[in-house]
Amino acid sequence: MKNPRDVTRTDVVRMLAVGILASAVGIAIGLSIDWFPTAAATQAGPIDTFYDVLIIISVPVFVLVTTVVLFSVIKFRMRAGEEELDGPPTHGNTRLEVIWTAIPSIMVSILCVYGASVLSEIDAAKADQLQVTAYAQQFAWSFEYTGPNGKKFIANELYVPCAPSGAATGEGAACNGTQVKFDIKAVDVIHSFWIPSMRMKQDAVPGITTHTKVNPNRIGTYSVVCAELCGIGHGIMRSTVHVVTPARYAAWFAAKSAAKTA
Amino acid sequence: MEAASISTPPAHHEHHGPPEANKSSSVDAQTLGMLLFIISEIMVFGGFFTAYFFIRVVNGNPWPAEGEELPKIIAGFNTAVLLSSSLTMHWALEAAKHNNRKALKAGMLATLLLGSTFLVVQINEYVHLGFAPYDSAQASIFYGLTGLHGAHVFIGLTLLLFATIRAFRGHFSAEEHRGIEVPGIYWHFVDVMWVIVYASVYLL
Amino acid sequence: MPAQLKAPGWYRAGAFILLGLAFCTGLVTLIRSLYGYTPLIDGEAITIVSMIGVPLFFLVGLGAFDYWFYWASGKDTRPEDHASHGAHSWRDYFKVNTDHKVIGIQYVCTTFFFMFIGGLMAMMVRAELAAPGSQFVDGQDYNSLFSVHASLLIFLFIVPVFAGLANYVLPLMIGAPDMAFPRLNALSFWMLPIAGTLMSISFLMPGGAFASGWTAYAPLSTTQPLGQMCFTIGVQFAGASSIATALNFLVTIITMRAPGMSFWRMPLLVWANFATSLLVVVATPFIAASQFFVLLDRSLGFHFFDATIGAGREGNVIMYQHVFWFYSHPAVYIMMLPGFGIVSEILSVKSRKPIFGYRMMAFSLLAIVLLGFTVWAHHMFVSGMQSWIRVPMMITTAIIAVPTGIKIFSWLGTMWKGVLHLDTPMLFCLGFLTMFTLGGISGVMLAMVPFDIHVSDTYFIVAHIHYVLFGGSLFTIFAGVYYWFPKMTGRMYSQRLGKIHFWATFIFFNATFAPMHVIGIQGMPRRVADYAEQFAGWNMAISVASFLLGLSTLLFLYNMVNSWRNGPEAGSNPYRALTLEWQVSSPPPIFNFDEIPTVVGGPYEYGVPGAQHAILGGRKPEPVAVGAVASAVSDADTETEES
Repeated sequence: MKNPRDVTRTDVVRMLAVGILASAVGIAIGLSIDWFPTAAATQAGPIDTFYDVLIIISVPVFVLVTTVVLFSVIKFRMRAGEEELDGPPTHGNTRLEVIWTAIPSIMVSILCVYGASVLSEIDAAKADQLQVTAYAQQFAWSFEYTGPNGKKFIANELYVPCAPSGAATGEGAACNGTQVKFDIKAVDVIHSFWIPSMRMKQDAVPGITTHTKVNPNRIGTYSVVCAELCGIGHGIMRSTVHVVTPARYAAWFAAKSAAKTA
Repeated sequence: MEAASISTPPAHHEHHGPPEANKSSSVDAQTLGMLLFIISEIMVFGGFFTAYFFIRVVNGNPWPAEGEELPKIIAGFNTAVLLSSSLTMHWALEAAKHNNRKALKAGMLATLLLGSTFLVVQINEYVHLGFAPYDSAQASIFYGLTGLHGAHVFIGLTLLLFATIRAFRGHFSAEEHRGIEVPGIYWHFVDVMWVIVYASVYLL
Repeated sequence: MPAQLKAPGWYRAGAFILLGLAFCTGLVTLIRSLYGYTPLIDGEAITIVSMIGVPLFFLVGLGAFDYWFYWASGKDTRPEDHASHGAHSWRDYFKVNTDHKVIGIQYVCTTFFFMFIGGLMAMMVRAELAAPGSQFVDGQDYNSLFSVHASLLIFLFIVPVFAGLANYVLPLMIGAPDMAFPRLNALSFWMLPIAGTLMSISFLMPGGAFASGWTAYAPLSTTQPLGQMCFTIGVQFAGASSIATALNFLVTIITMRAPGMSFWRMPLLVWANFATSLLVVVATPFIAASQFFVLLDRSLGFHFFDATIGAGREGNVIMYQHVFWFYSHPAVYIMMLPGFGIVSEILSVKSRKPIFGYRMMAFSLLAIVLLGFTVWAHHMFVSGMQSWIRVPMMITTAIIAVPTGIKIFSWLGTMWKGVLHLDTPMLFCLGFLTMFTLGGISGVMLAMVPFDIHVSDTYFIVAHIHYVLFGGSLFTIFAGVYYWFPKMTGRMYSQRLGKIHFWATFIFFNATFAPMHVIGIQGMPRRVADYAEQFAGWNMAISVASFLLGLSTLLFLYNMVNSWRNGPEAGSNPYRALTLEWQVSSPPPIFNFDEIPTVVGGPYEYGVPGAQHAILGGRKPEPVAVGAVASAVSDADTETEES
């Protein structure tokens, strides 16, 4: 009489099949979901790819745990007549425990190395930079540019120049932007300067100047969002960044620097 | 000192009480409890020392701040007072262990006196410092750290007051003196913490 | 004086509250007159001092300090008459009682009360977020809703409910008649309704309830109206309660185990609470310190976090976050480790198998305690702190996945080839295994700095925290309450209703929080009363799911209340479990045991022929039928380790 509790080769094959199939489906879904907003800076590429790798690693882990749980529930559940039955007195298995300690350790080590390399990539400074000071206050952003002759002007929305790399110059065109280095200052409480499309975020902290850098690479209009609770207006503290052609930028810049300071 | 927890059911006790718990450690429960409590107290000071570190080292602020001077000599005198009080505390405990009631009472009174002197001197120091906590971040953490410590001196003195009252009422013996020993441990902690505060705030 | 006012209790507590108000008013007025401040009567100053002082007067009136006052005044020792021990009527649950079983139930009921209030606030948050724009509340009120929601659920529910369950079970499990310090235990409990009341009355304060999040970052929190002080001071009472309980647990576990119960024969619930208590004792003082600084800055004009006072004398804003997170990261382990202990207990009993890898399970708890202190700045990757801190914190955070993974895999190993009893507690444990894995996975993702830079302070974080706190902690809390319900009440709950509760919770929980991963990465920040139009669809769906999730908790409430009153009687050991709490009646006798049992073996020796955990009063425990081993013993992986 075959004991339904015995784990046969068929069972193992079934589990593996389910696991592999579920992982494949899960990874496919995970990779096809449009997680991120439209990428508008070179920083987005490595981060988005990193996330894809995280999905590819995470799905099988989740599938493994869930498959074992489901398989156990189906195979090992108490059936009628087994109310007084106990399981086998297994206290452990050293080899298994070593494996499930070693493999996760290796996996997280690899992730850390990868993560550190992505970090240095997105942090990398370029020689040529456009410096903008971003001021955060309750509840609005303002951006200070340095005009010709060192005169400064304030704009409520960000404009950054980006030279189109191809023939297209309209919305969505690929371009090579000057690296924009932000000096971020908070006027009152902590805010956080975030451009989702460019993936970069940095808190604005009263008393210090913080920094972040983006390399825009797509013509278009993107949100600037406050990402640190700053009071009653936190939810509406947004602005816009316009990535425009150098010509358009020059025109805007000239107009702004010529205009009388408000 | 009556155990604050489980009472031994005397044979003649008509009312059915709890069974006596097994002692699974040679460490006495009250002493262990006090030591663990002191660990949490050390961590509170740790939080304040963290603030001190940030305001002085990370910020690079001058210490003391411009226009604020710290009375090292008076505080040094106070350090001597507090250290002496630990000696008298130890003397009181030794007296209890040897059933020397007079020395126990004298030691406890001396400790209370010295501890109170410390507090009085400290309060007097506050009055004459010449700067207030709202004058600078340095002033804030100075008052914060020394004030935190002063509060703990007050707690310690309260515990010692209870122990002294009980000593005068005839409690404690060579066999049972945890009521002196356990508050004494707290008092020594207060003393050691002062030395650290004094060294890092006044001297460093 | 009427007898009611002399005896400890609510009448006297009420009188003392009035006395406390008078005292605090007098104290503040006196100090103000000495300093020459005007106006002499300052409502805000009196309120703040009263929030600290009146609760203490209340505790004195209620009787929490009576014995200590008597002892401190040096009067002759009175023989203990156990008058305030054990519950003989429902009234005893509203008094200062020294019985850990009474205190445990007081904790569980009080914490669930605040859970419902905090949950109600979540419903209001989701109602506002169902559509973009402002529908029911303005920005400030909205900020208050999620702030009080989180604060109540963290400090008044998850942290203390585990303490309450352990309070009930732990002394029984180690063969002790009570905790090491029963009066301190009672005081610990009574500080909790004080903390919850303080936080809840913040809605009545001028300027509204506190609204700077449960994280209360300076300088937002130091420039808020009076309601912020309700959080600042409420947290101190909750923290003191937590620390006192932890001290009690540690001393109890170390000094009161039954003969024969070495550390390696302790049930994992005891190990888990031992580890958690270490975390509480060491970490909690840091949140106390952070809130002292906020109190001093806001109310007395100190400059701990003031960056505007001028060069050479300014405070440090980021310092708040370092001090706060140094507690609040270990806090998340405080909110999970006891749950791990509960899962170990239930999985072993319901699989009829020993815990797989018991020693590594214990070691991994200790590893998480140690590592837990090395990761706090992963909450601060974009805070503007020194950039060199980020990579080391990324590494330590990723490493914590290893001991946690060991636990998940060991639980799977425990279930494997067991005889699974799929009742309500077991279902919640299985739900926990899968959902906490998801939460842990998103946690490893968040450890990676480049990804965290993008998703920090977005709905991805909200998703992560709810997967680990709801799918993690709350599932284990439900599991534990269902599991020990028969022991605590002597009655059995409705299994059918329990399973429906589980499935409703599981489905609606995922429907609520899974989409938050997407909108977070898509660009929706957290703690916002309004959001960009593109997120409207998802938010509506999430809100609807959340209302259904909220409703499903009513199934639990009904089941618990109805079963407590009318449920069928449960025997002493309905699960044929080996641990000591199941070897006494349900509910247990007032002093737990007639005689302290003697432990002779491990607590999970299911399937081991002839195995015994303990001998009670010279007689063998009720035979736990050690049935035939479920499968052929020729299994290659049967390795019996010496326990």
